[in-house]
Amino acid sequence: MAAYKRQFYPGASIPAKNRRKYMDPKVKLKQLRDVSMDDVVRLMGHRNPGEDYKSIHPPIEEGKEPECPIRKLVVPIEGAKHGDRVRYIQFTDSVYFAPISPYQRAWMYLSRYRGLDTGTLSGRQIIEMRERDLEVLAKEMIDNETFDPALTGIRGATVHGHACRLDENGLMFDGWQRYIWDDKKKEVVYVKDQVALPLDRKIYVGKPASMSDLKKRTTIFRADGVDMRDDKEVTKYGIRIHYLRTLGGYQPFNVKGE
Amino acid sequence: MSKPAADYAGIPLPEVEVFSNRLLSVETTEKVLNALNEVDYVRQINMTGESLPKTINNGPAKGLENHHSQRKVIKVAGRDVEICYLVGAFYIELAVENEEQLDSAVEQIKGACDPHLTHGYSINVGRYNKFRASLNDYRE
Repeated sequence: MAAYKRQFYPGASIPAKNRRKYMDPKVKLKQLRDVSMDDVVRLMGHRNPGEDYKSIHPPIEEGKEPECPIRKLVVPIEGAKHGDRVRYIQFTDSVYFAPISPYQRAWMYLSRYRGLDTGTLSGRQIIEMRERDLEVLAKEMIDNETFDPALTGIRGATVHGHACRLDENGLMFDGWQRYIWDDKKKEVVYVKDQVALPLDRKIYVGKPASMSDLKKRTTIFRADGVDMRDDKEVTKYGIRIHYLRTLGGYQPFNVKGE
Repeated sequence: MSKPAADYAGIPLPEVEVFSNRLLSVETTEKVLNALNEVDYVRQINMTGESLPKTINNGPAKGLENHHSQRKVIKVAGRDVEICYLVGAFYIELAVENEEQLDSAVEQIKGACDPHLTHGYSINVGRYNKFRASLNDYRE
């Protein structure tokens, strides 16, 4: 029997291809900007840059772990080794062709990384992880192509805005104005951290991408972009899942062979 | 239930909905309102949009001043108007008596909006708010 080759997502349309690309751990995501690690730490607001990590349990190496075969089997991530706290970062993605949307974020995170817990809501996606690993992941997520300064927001609380019209500068609405438009530099700049506590200095996250570029990068099917119904394979896949779920609910004895 | 901004007309006068493609900055809102002030037959203008809270309303920063640059007092026809929303639509009630007056008012509204709503907008005539008191208005 041939080894199972992992599949990610059906379809030949641009959003379908992007979904596959983001989920496939073998594909290295493009780095578009470089926000310094200290600034990422400031944006999250869990600790001050340079401050020690707080811990909730002694380091695993001290050997005070109970006897457990699973603990022996699983290699701990760095933060777990040191007993770090679990902290979070949350991203909001606009419906106006943001590079990625929350559901695909969950697929991507779980496909690419270890040791995280993620939660999906309609407009936002939270990542919970041991603090030092979270910082590395957060920097990667802010720097890479899944982040757009105008259409992706770093918002720990009150994420309202993902389905609102954009403002005149093309930024996603934020009632707390965590980021503003710098008209001179033509860049987006954060003035508050993810829970709207004012930052002591501004953090520039770069220029927003053009709409034509975003349409090539997005994973979002939209009637005014690529309609999901135009991608036959994706439609077929959706219908098949719906069919199997319904059948499984009402006539589970008929699922065999489907 | 808040009180209506102006007295109800009692009859369903036409309303013009100007729905912007983008949420408008407070400066643009001020320009549009002052331009609409010149239009004939306008009885009242209601606006909708996304709320800009005065203070941070939850999370660890709860209670802090929001300092939103778009939340401020503007001058409309010489009077101070406090803008607490990022405005996205205008509903202009017109005290017109016939079709000609309505058409002329709509043309004037288009003329007022075109220079300021550069990202585009849609315009519709209909009735979008209630025009007479209902049971809710008598509630304490």
